[in-house]
Amino acid sequence: MNIKCRGEQFILNKERAIYWPAKHMLIISDLHIGKTAYFRKSGIQVPDTVGLTDLQRLTSLIKEFHPENLLITGDMFHNKINSDVNAFMEWRRSYSNLNVILIKGNHDTLRHEDYLALNIDYHAKELCCAPFRFIHDIPEEIDEFYNISGHIHPGIILYGKAKQQLKFPCFYFGKQQAILPAFSIFTGLKIMKPQKGDLVFVLTPNKIIQV
Amino acid sequence: MQLEKSKGYRQVIKWLKLNKKKPFEFQTDAWQYYAEGYCGLVNAPTGFGKTFSIFLAVVIDELNKKHETKTTIAKGKIIKKKSNQGLKLIWITPLRSLAKDLARAMNEVCTELKLDWVIGVRNGDTSQSEKLKQKKQMPEVLIITPESIHLLLAQKNAFSYFDQLQCIVADEWHELLGSKRGVMTELAISRIKGLLTEMHPERLLRIWGISATIGNMEQAMEVLVPYNNVLKTIIKADMEKKNEIHSILPDHIDMLPWAGHLGHKLAHKLLPIIYKSKTTLIFTNTRGQAELWYQTLLAQDETLAGQLAIHHGSIDHELRNWIEDAIHTGLLKAVVCTSSLDLGVDFKPVDTVVQIGSPKGVARFLQRAGRSGHSPHETSKIYFLPTHALELVEAAAIKEAVKTQDIESREPIVMAFDTLIQYLVTIAVGDGFDDEKIFFEVKQTHSFKELLPQEWKWVMQFITTGGTSLTAYNEFSKVSKDIDGLWKVKNRQIAMRHRLHIGTIVSDAMLKVKYLTGGFIGMIEESFISRLKPGSSFTLAGKVLEFIMVKEMMVLVRKSKLKQAISPSWLGGRMSLTANLGALLRKKYNETLHKTHGEIELDFILPLFEQQAKVSHVPKSDEFLVELINTKDGYHLFAYPFEGRQVHEIMAALIAYRLSMIKPITFSIAMNDYGFELLSEQPIPLNEDSIKSLFTPLNLSNDIVASINSTEMARRKFRDIACISGLVFQGYPGKYVANKHLQSSAALFFNVFSDYDKHNLLLRQAYDEAFYQQIEEPRLAAALNRIQISKIIIVKTYRYTPLCFPIKVDSLRENMSSEELSQRIERMTAESEKRLSPTQRKNKQRK
Repeated sequence: MNIKCRGEQFILNKERAIYWPAKHMLIISDLHIGKTAYFRKSGIQVPDTVGLTDLQRLTSLIKEFHPENLLITGDMFHNKINSDVNAFMEWRRSYSNLNVILIKGNHDTLRHEDYLALNIDYHAKELCCAPFRFIHDIPEEIDEFYNISGHIHPGIILYGKAKQQLKFPCFYFGKQQAILPAFSIFTGLKIMKPQKGDLVFVLTPNKIIQV
Repeated sequence: MQLEKSKGYRQVIKWLKLNKKKPFEFQTDAWQYYAEGYCGLVNAPTGFGKTFSIFLAVVIDELNKKHETKTTIAKGKIIKKKSNQGLKLIWITPLRSLAKDLARAMNEVCTELKLDWVIGVRNGDTSQSEKLKQKKQMPEVLIITPESIHLLLAQKNAFSYFDQLQCIVADEWHELLGSKRGVMTELAISRIKGLLTEMHPERLLRIWGISATIGNMEQAMEVLVPYNNVLKTIIKADMEKKNEIHSILPDHIDMLPWAGHLGHKLAHKLLPIIYKSKTTLIFTNTRGQAELWYQTLLAQDETLAGQLAIHHGSIDHELRNWIEDAIHTGLLKAVVCTSSLDLGVDFKPVDTVVQIGSPKGVARFLQRAGRSGHSPHETSKIYFLPTHALELVEAAAIKEAVKTQDIESREPIVMAFDTLIQYLVTIAVGDGFDDEKIFFEVKQTHSFKELLPQEWKWVMQFITTGGTSLTAYNEFSKVSKDIDGLWKVKNRQIAMRHRLHIGTIVSDAMLKVKYLTGGFIGMIEESFISRLKPGSSFTLAGKVLEFIMVKEMMVLVRKSKLKQAISPSWLGGRMSLTANLGALLRKKYNETLHKTHGEIELDFILPLFEQQAKVSHVPKSDEFLVELINTKDGYHLFAYPFEGRQVHEIMAALIAYRLSMIKPITFSIAMNDYGFELLSEQPIPLNEDSIKSLFTPLNLSNDIVASINSTEMARRKFRDIACISGLVFQGYPGKYVANKHLQSSAALFFNVFSDYDKHNLLLRQAYDEAFYQQIEEPRLAAALNRIQISKIIIVKTYRYTPLCFPIKVDSLRENMSSEELSQRIERMTAESEKRLSPTQRKNKQRK
């Protein structure tokens, strides 16, 4: 789905990503690499295929858009280096030409050397790229930049007659900020209550619907 | 030696005589059987000393043993006096509140019989220092909950606790039987028995249950004592508890609403009953209803303030303890409560019980009635306050069921893999386990007697490698084999987290409610609080509170100046009518019009029935009534099987599906305990001939699968399963803040397993639970078969009838739709324009 945001063209993809053609940039958020391995280490049974699926989805997005840059607005790595991160390392090698840029999120606690080894260019707080500021969580103060963030894993409930409801992840475009859905499928949702004028793009299994 | 001649027996009888008491026959029977080495089940009405039937049996045994040791010493034989201090009797109770009372009674016996036993209590409320003391020296008697026994098994060196154990008692076994806590009890007993067989093969461990009357006493005993090589028996007290049941009637039938579930219009009728009684327990069916009634009664008579209390599961335990003590001392005039006070606590001052609304089952009603007149030969007095007119018929039905002792069965839970997984990790956290030995033990329990070797293998793999052998999970760590060959949990953090989550009671995320100035009030569901704005008020524990903020998993409040506020609705679900009561209800409908009865309730409601007969028809027990009503809302079909809400829910979906096979049609569905409604915009294709084929039991299973969104149902069931099996942590209010990095939800796991691990047994369990507990297929089939042999009555009219009205106004509606997900989404998107926020929707429903 194509949308205009502050005069720029964005392509919203149902695999929870935005492509920004002008900058050849694929934007995702909350990848949570290593989450499933961390769960397994803690004695909770999560199939490893879950983490691999996330990487496969990323691969197909790259094959679709051929981006030069991959921007992650935070929470790329869930915890420490573990088997999932090693799998990502393999993946990274096969896309060594891709620029990977990370805006650090609350989960990103790897060491400087680890990011270097993974060939990730990281920013501790934010990256401003007019007219946008990429940042993990929405800043409290409003300025001329339009914030693009992640962190909360936005979702929306669609209500039907007779108490029916369905929950889906969504892109949330507010007046001053946009919030990306979490890229990883092994994540929960925070249910948003849209304010007037906000745009919500619901990610259903087959397509994106604006509500 | 004969028991009657033994020292211990005579000592106990002498003591009883001193207190001017004589044992009942069932008690001496129990003592005799116990002495002969039997296991079994004691069944006696409340207030007849069920506790003493087993407790004194153990005491007599002990006194006799003491005596024997003494004589051997006296004979001059040199024997080294072995220390035989330690745990002798484990007394399992389902409720913490029972423990204090039991301990008091047992302590009294021991003091008076000069038996130097220590009576210990162990449950969630036991202090850390007390637990440490018990660890050093176990008391002789331990009163404990199923959860706490599992916690004992999760300790290192657990077997040493049971070295002296003689007997395990499961008190209020009927209450545990039908739940996963019953399965926990079965598993704990199997392990303790296994440990004892290893250490002291000569010892005869007695396992006894104490139970109120239920429909399946035999089975209840077999579940508790599944072992074939032990002697077992059921001891039934052949005396009856006298009950007096009165319905509270308004002055005129018109003052009773046709529908509703609060009943507060009759509150003024309750006051004289409270005044003339010493202490009254007022039972409601939900916590929200309890809060409302507390407010209503205070509004009726302000002088009740200070003498009226409210008691339910969400109230802070200190406050609850205080209330329970206050009932004991007779300080309170009345207590509004929920099932939290259902069980055997012996409150002497309570002489009257009131039930508000239908109790939905005979066993539950009797249990509650038994709260009054607790001592033998006293009469239990219970008042029934109807919340709508038709409930009076239920009152009459219950009266009859009580007379004929037609009491429901409690179905034991089988193949609860979640509970098994939790148990295995529990004993792996403790001393570790040998898988062959444990498989043998587990297989002996009733719950897992059908367990297949490959299922066991799956469970073992699930806790050791995460997935099946081919897909062992990377880096998975939970249970692993130690050098001594036992399966253990080595990671201390995993062990600690597991201990915090032992148990099978899963509730919605609860937050503690606390005054800003300090002092806990109780607990409240997170989902309720999330809908409140700071500054708005709600009621809890009978107090009107102003919500300030949520801080560190705590809801901070202050006293509100408002008199009334919204009551939280706790997600308890509504209870459904049991099959027994349904059958009796149909019979009562017969009797009302024919006046072949002696019940004032039925006389009272006669005008309503006459009206029903005039505008439609009153179904007799061999008839099946269907009303087709055409109003401006559309075409309604009302059917009255009288099988309870749960069966109707499924039946309605089934019939809607079968109708939609005849022609494309969409229905809105509503139901209550008497019948269900299908509402459509189009005429419903139905006539006398087609009804029987519509309600046929043929092809039932397939049609159920086609008509019901079983995935949704299983997903709901999976919530508990994910918690119990340790996939998701519920986190205790104020006690334990979950590891942020391990946050997840049951729904997420349901999706993950559905996509990546279809053969997961926990997933299968969720579907099984949905089919057998939610859908109750056997009961549905029985109902359809009954309809087949009934006379079908179809009435067509243009006005709502007294029978259909309560269904019509019921707020719980559902849609039957055969549309695909994508279609649903598009339809919902279209509707979302006129969407209402959840709170608005709720308000609308209330109106």
